[in-house]
Amino acid sequence: MTSRTAREPRRFGVPSLSAMAGYLPLVIFVCLLGYLSVVSSNFLTFPTFDLILRQAVPTTIVCLGLSIVVMAGGDDVVSGGIDLSIPAVAVLAAAIIADQLTNHAASLAVALPLALMAALLVGAVNAMLVVRIGMTPLLATLSTSVAVVGIVKVVTSSRRINVDHPAVVWLRDGTIGGVSSGVVLTLVFFGVFFFIAHRTRWGLNLQAVGGSRDAAEVSGIPVSRFVALSFIIAGFAGGLAAMFILARGSGSTPGTEENLLLEMVLATFLGSAFSPRRVVTLWGAILGAVLVSALSIGFKSIGVNVFWTGCIKGALILIVVASASLSAKFDRRKTAI
Amino acid sequence: MKKSITSGLQLLAFCVAASTSAATSSLADGHLTLEGKKIGVAVVGTQHFWDREAFNGALDTVKKLGGEPVPVDGGRDNQVHADNHDILLNNKVDAVISILGDGAVEPKFEALKTAGIPVFTVDHLSPHGINNTTSDNYYMGTTIGRYMADAIGGKGRVAIFNAFEGALRICGIRSGLWKYVLQDYPQIEIIQPELAEAFANAPEDARKKTLDLLNQHPKGSLDAIHVGCWDQPAIGVVQALEEAGRTEVKVTALDGGPETLEIMAEENSPFVANVAQQPRKIGATAAMNAARFFAGETLLPQTFVEVKPVNGPEEAKAVYKELGYGELK
Amino acid sequence: MSADPDILMLKGISKAFPGVQALEGATLCVAAGEVHGLVGENGAGKSTIIKIIAGVYDRDAGTMSIDGRHFDHVSPQGVHDAGVRFIHQELHLVPHFTVAESVFMGQEVTGKFGLKRKTMRLRAEAFLRDVLNTRISGDTLIRDLGIAERKLVQIARALIDDEAKIVVFDEPTAPLASSEIEQVFQAIRGLQERGIAMIYVSHYLGEITDICDRVTVFRNGRDVAVLDEVTEDSSDSIIRHMVGRDIEALYPEIHHKVGEPVLEVAGLGDGRKFFGVDLTVGKGELVGIAGLIGSGREELTDTIYGLNQPTTGTMTMDGVPNRFASPADAVGKGIVLVPRDRRHDGLVLDFTVADNINLASLEQVAVSILEDRSAAAKRAEKLAEQIDIRPRDPDAIARFLSGGNQQKVVLARWLATGAKLFILDEPTVGVDIGAKVEIYQLIEKLTAQGAGVIVSSSDPAELLGICDRIVVMLRGRVVANEAARSLTLDSLTALTTHSNPAEVLA
Repeated sequence: MTSRTAREPRRFGVPSLSAMAGYLPLVIFVCLLGYLSVVSSNFLTFPTFDLILRQAVPTTIVCLGLSIVVMAGGDDVVSGGIDLSIPAVAVLAAAIIADQLTNHAASLAVALPLALMAALLVGAVNAMLVVRIGMTPLLATLSTSVAVVGIVKVVTSSRRINVDHPAVVWLRDGTIGGVSSGVVLTLVFFGVFFFIAHRTRWGLNLQAVGGSRDAAEVSGIPVSRFVALSFIIAGFAGGLAAMFILARGSGSTPGTEENLLLEMVLATFLGSAFSPRRVVTLWGAILGAVLVSALSIGFKSIGVNVFWTGCIKGALILIVVASASLSAKFDRRKTAI
Repeated sequence: MKKSITSGLQLLAFCVAASTSAATSSLADGHLTLEGKKIGVAVVGTQHFWDREAFNGALDTVKKLGGEPVPVDGGRDNQVHADNHDILLNNKVDAVISILGDGAVEPKFEALKTAGIPVFTVDHLSPHGINNTTSDNYYMGTTIGRYMADAIGGKGRVAIFNAFEGALRICGIRSGLWKYVLQDYPQIEIIQPELAEAFANAPEDARKKTLDLLNQHPKGSLDAIHVGCWDQPAIGVVQALEEAGRTEVKVTALDGGPETLEIMAEENSPFVANVAQQPRKIGATAAMNAARFFAGETLLPQTFVEVKPVNGPEEAKAVYKELGYGELK
Repeated sequence: MSADPDILMLKGISKAFPGVQALEGATLCVAAGEVHGLVGENGAGKSTIIKIIAGVYDRDAGTMSIDGRHFDHVSPQGVHDAGVRFIHQELHLVPHFTVAESVFMGQEVTGKFGLKRKTMRLRAEAFLRDVLNTRISGDTLIRDLGIAERKLVQIARALIDDEAKIVVFDEPTAPLASSEIEQVFQAIRGLQERGIAMIYVSHYLGEITDICDRVTVFRNGRDVAVLDEVTEDSSDSIIRHMVGRDIEALYPEIHHKVGEPVLEVAGLGDGRKFFGVDLTVGKGELVGIAGLIGSGREELTDTIYGLNQPTTGTMTMDGVPNRFASPADAVGKGIVLVPRDRRHDGLVLDFTVADNINLASLEQVAVSILEDRSAAAKRAEKLAEQIDIRPRDPDAIARFLSGGNQQKVVLARWLATGAKLFILDEPTVGVDIGAKVEIYQLIEKLTAQGAGVIVSSSDPAELLGICDRIVVMLRGRVVANEAARSLTLDSLTALTTHSNPAEVLA
């Protein structure tokens, strides 16, 4: 009995079955990247790396939002925390900014707050649907996502709006200390999100809520408030992403949300493989976003047919989600009471 | 006055000669080569016949000329298509053939130009490109305008799907000239607001929008639906008309791929007029133009590839056969 | 002992719920530095008085004081501030949190630059080591801990603020293997040294006599005895006080003619919850399985029914070796399980009574592929009459029936299938006395048809009243297999609550 009480953390121990299942997606990704760098001669170069980071920017920012929601709701994809509406919110905010700047000649000081307010509003609606009405986050945010895409169509008449505002051009082409301005700003946002989620009491309580609602309640943590706030933060992240979407496309294009949604979900849940605890973390999310971007670019560099890229991404999502479930299953088996 | 007319005629003659010679001479240019060149070929998507044909035409020709093609496909997403140019830039290709795309690609073209990589566009006129290969959009726009006006007897109410007029120059030309022709038909009214079709999943999207439109405009208050810049949405439009039993509404569109020609050739098809393009030839011509550029030849800003007007089912069958899509009964 | 001023005093506490007098003038006094056992059968009022202490329920009458201070009205926050802590049976921990994060959950230590993780880790480790007598690294993840260690983390979380004076443990050892119990006991002794008063609620009398200084026994909402001296031999006297009643004339007379074995189970185990179980049920025989919740009863019956697969042992049905791959397989071979939670597992709540009755035996009323509605209705009506379901309306929706009537619908469904073996899991939970009698009569009908019946129940009186033979399970093992008439309520209760199976097995 007492012989097994003195325990070291298992971080460096022999990986358990559940740990191996959890790392499976990571292993596959690393193998794919290794393959790409062998096949494509210029894959491991600075310009490619820079390109990967720049293309990962919008995904990274929406991933920050989704991570917060998953932390507060738990990582069960069906019943846990998820917000599918973030990409739609981002596209809505982008459409509002583009419409204001280009069609109404408004200043950014008017357009940006307007867009952020719209994004926060959608977040608040999600929060209300989930916390007050008690809808499953998956269903609630799927519905708002559809509605928001509809609003985008109304705002833009389903048409592309070009934007050549200096701020957008700067985000697209500007650099800070030799690094793309978009990448630098994303790192700043990441830093803020990271501090809040992983270095504050608030963040730890947020994770407690997602980890075990009962445990959080017993510890006197206001569960509903955290869940609601997580959706509002996710909306805010969508609003932030808008500027980077505009910069990336030099304007607002309807339909951008679809690809973003796919990459967001893939990156966020892939990221949990980076975490020693195998849960969704902000570090994991940002690394996941970069990895997904690297794969997209890598496949194109070696000329893989775009339909195959779709297949591969779908398969990867499957592997990520399946291995998360497997990992959880092994954990349950180990800790069955 | 006389001089200006003659010079105008000369210009016209030159244009016709240039366009036909570009089309015919392309095969005779035996000296052209892309040996040792890496040519990026970016296409916005490969779901639709037109895109795929242009893409394959360019790829095949690059290969035939000894070049190494680097294909990238945007999956019918303009944003992804634009981003793909970054990858080509990063892959240090020698030239880029870029098929379609909206305003999002302009900064990418500029970056390629700055890096000394020539850009040859297809159906996308850009200040940063060397040359744009396209159909004669002016002719397409005016012809389809005339055909549609004829089909409804010179009067009535028409709806137009026109999402890309502002975003794509070629679409601006096509719908602009269609409207220009209609100015001479004061009894034809264009229903406002104009409709906006989706870029991806266009047929299904257009089907839904047409059903809504038919509800708003009962029998007798709508005579034609025109798709301003292409004809994928027209597939959905015809479906909707048949579902609603409103085939008295005429449909016109542009591009004339095999699917739409087949629909036109059906008995009593509401789809009455089209202008068929030769997308494969367009893609091939863009690749030839890249080779001409490397051979030091001077290229005009635009190369026009011949189009085939299609008016009614019989012409649809004839053009179908002529363009090598097979035989329609 | 009585000279010491008690830190917690509840006197003359009464509490009524609609239709039930849960507490009637109950008294519970606990002194500083003692471990005070609180025992009683289910429904004796233990959990009600705990919830009154916690401020979950308001008492109807009586007084309560903590540390000499009277509480007229108790709020959860008020008792917390007064230094009362509750260690619930459920662990309520986040699997992917570290020990330190879990201990400080909701009361994290922060500084200018956010969380002070190192401080939290060191304090958590120090508390576990110095107070709870256990060494666990503060960086270990909860999911990497054993259950006993998790229990200690849960205790540490409740006590880390060092302001606890009274700690209430609700079945702290229920999820533990017997080898792990000592670890929790060490922690309790550590708390005792610090002068903390503890209430220890448990069904395991062996543990009560091990760890407790005093014991209060509840029965029917009253404290019927307080034992000031607790020794190993106190179990008998505790059981006497706990049971203290006659078995009501609730149960039918039993004259079963036991025929050939229907089911024979030998050495059956699932490697986790029950081990090496031998069990035989004859035709027309009624075998009871007794045991506390968590004793492995449920897992055993689930496994026999094919819901889970055993890892060891053999099963023989009608003399033919058999293992059921699935419940469908079991039903096909003539085994029927009536689940404990009929609302979830046994009934389609939104179906009518008739549809529910016909659910299991559609093939009997189906004409080719189509269901013959009129035949089905007739059959259901006959059955509903036979078993006296009220209201006697086959078209009533199952959801709106009382618990007893729902149970009768479930039984009725299986009655007609002519199965050879019935497994009834807690057949009378949540059922009033009248319905109980009717259910017992229904069970009698099953045995009269020559079917073997297994009744798994946590009510020892019920098992003694209706069974031919009783198999007692404790922590996953069969500790007794006796004819029911050779057992008494005392001896059966002693068997199910004994904490040392080795002694019984010997």
